[in-house]
Amino acid sequence: MLDYILRRFVYTLITIFAVATILFIIFRMLPGEPTMQVISPAMDPAVQERMREAFGLNEPVWKQYMIYMKNLATLEWGRSFVSAQEVTDILGHRFWNTILLMAAGMCMTLVLGIGMGIIMAWRRNGPVDLIGTVVGLIFQAAPPFITGLLLLMVLSYRLGMFPTGGMYAPGARPDGVLDLLMTADFWHRLVLPTLTVGMYYISTPMLIMRDSMLEVLGSDYIELARAKGLKSRVIMMRHAARNALLGVVTISGIMIGFAVGGQVVVESLFSWPGMGQLMVESAAQHDYPVAQGTFLMLAILVISLNFLTDVLYSYLDPRIKITAKGLS
Amino acid sequence: MSNPQDPLLSVRNLGVVYNTSQGPVHAVSNVSFDVRENEVFGIAGESGCGKSTLIKALLRLLAENGTATADRCTYRGRALMDMDEEDFRREILWQEISMVPQSAMASFNPVHRVGDQVIESIQAHRDDSRAQAMERAAELFDVVGLEPGLLKSYPHEFSGGMRQRAMIAMALSLDPGLIIMDEPTTGLDVLVQERILRRIREIRSELKSSIILITHDIAVIAEMSDRIAIMYGGEIMEQASAIDLFENPHHPYTLGLKNAFPSITTLGTELISIPGSPPTLVGPVQSCPFAPRCPFDDAICHSANPEAKEIAEGHIVRCAHSADAARFRELAKEKSTWLS
Repeated sequence: MLDYILRRFVYTLITIFAVATILFIIFRMLPGEPTMQVISPAMDPAVQERMREAFGLNEPVWKQYMIYMKNLATLEWGRSFVSAQEVTDILGHRFWNTILLMAAGMCMTLVLGIGMGIIMAWRRNGPVDLIGTVVGLIFQAAPPFITGLLLLMVLSYRLGMFPTGGMYAPGARPDGVLDLLMTADFWHRLVLPTLTVGMYYISTPMLIMRDSMLEVLGSDYIELARAKGLKSRVIMMRHAARNALLGVVTISGIMIGFAVGGQVVVESLFSWPGMGQLMVESAAQHDYPVAQGTFLMLAILVISLNFLTDVLYSYLDPRIKITAKGLS
Repeated sequence: MSNPQDPLLSVRNLGVVYNTSQGPVHAVSNVSFDVRENEVFGIAGESGCGKSTLIKALLRLLAENGTATADRCTYRGRALMDMDEEDFRREILWQEISMVPQSAMASFNPVHRVGDQVIESIQAHRDDSRAQAMERAAELFDVVGLEPGLLKSYPHEFSGGMRQRAMIAMALSLDPGLIIMDEPTTGLDVLVQERILRRIREIRSELKSSIILITHDIAVIAEMSDRIAIMYGGEIMEQASAIDLFENPHHPYTLGLKNAFPSITTLGTELISIPGSPPTLVGPVQSCPFAPRCPFDDAICHSANPEAKEIAEGHIVRCAHSADAARFRELAKEKSTWLS
């Protein structure tokens, strides 16, 4: 088990390293001079030259790469071209804002989705099953920018039940995440973006859970569990749902990856000051250090979540240990 | 309320119908038998003859499209089919009738430890603590010849034979009156099979449980059973004590089955198989189900399903021509009889 987790961890590090390398290449392939924002062509050529030297841009590419990697590792991610703030400081705030929204969205998706999936399989072809399938598919067919806009239009503009965006009221600036979590206003503002994320993704765990449950319910060990005279609740939870969960965990890793990408849309829509919004802003402003940092941070987030999924899977399925031994 | 002379399990005219898109399938019809206290009752027949459906009907494990009906189905005098769902689960399942399933390989849940799955069957019926149940499980493992330390293992860490033993241990956990063993040795190699059978015999002599042994293997059933029922097309064709059935078989299907299995005494003789395949059982039965494959069939066989007749004490045959059994026995030894 430990052996398996350790190996997955090494793979994770290698993947992050590869992503960082690809980012380095892509940012050098982008059209236009990355330094255009700070080094104006109107400056004295000697000054321009000195500024390039200061950025290390006169060095050969391989050396630039070495410096880049060293700086990444030591968390020297540069300063914003726009605000001159440290990139790591900016990301430090934005990261938690994104995590809060993602966590809320994914919790709603997974808890509700898995719960619904269990009920749908248990009462197959019953009303919950039929309605759940149809509604789930409708939600999945509607992209977040449509559902998000509809929610805003109806619940915010028409009914005025929710604010139209942002994480806190204009003017209020809570210090730190904990402080933020203590305000009711934050939770109120969290509802609509969470719903938008939740509605779009809920059908995935729900339908997968339902199908895996139905598959598991036909297996020999369920029949034996019935013969053993176990209560049907115990059979459903300890045997059927527990085993069906494996399929959902596998798919969640992939789903959360997509959801991180989808975060860009949801954050822009609800003016949520997270990394997705930051990515759009920095790209529009040609703020290369921030854009690069955001891309890397989101990639690390997705890769780490996948690592966690693998660990969770190995905990849920004892057979994985054998496979791990077989690989070494 | 039950009399010691009464059978442990008494079944009269049990029928199971599956509703399918092709129409109703009569998987089991007119099945009547008794299982006495402390005996091994064997049920033999080829695949698809309704053996497993019969068991599922008794334990209420039928798929949603299956319905069971019976004139009588009593366990120690209690009418099983009239029992409330919850009472049946608590008082009959595993507590009184346990089972060793057909596929021990797939009948353990792969994600839980074997020990947890054994104690789960104990704790579902008794208020034992985890430690007490574990102690009982260790005892049971000892009975079937497994190291108690293996309780901590997962099913995939067991060999086929070990899983089968663990299943038997689990079936014994509540000292049930009746253990149903559905093909307990299928899929195991002959040596392991022999060891498991020996263990079952030992257990049986120590405990007071009766056993229903279901198998398609005539050799196993002959070796293990006190009384045997031969099933075909969802019905019991012949039922007798093990000795009677092999010394004095009456039904042509029994004769055919005997021919199709090797025996030590007739070593070297060619095995004769019964041509054709079992009936599909769709729609009502209006003839002897074996008639299409029977070498001795005539118009009577095809026009009505024969009634079961008791031709000697405890020897019941469902064949219109049971009086001709002696002649059939001679003819059945010839391969040409079956091929014509």
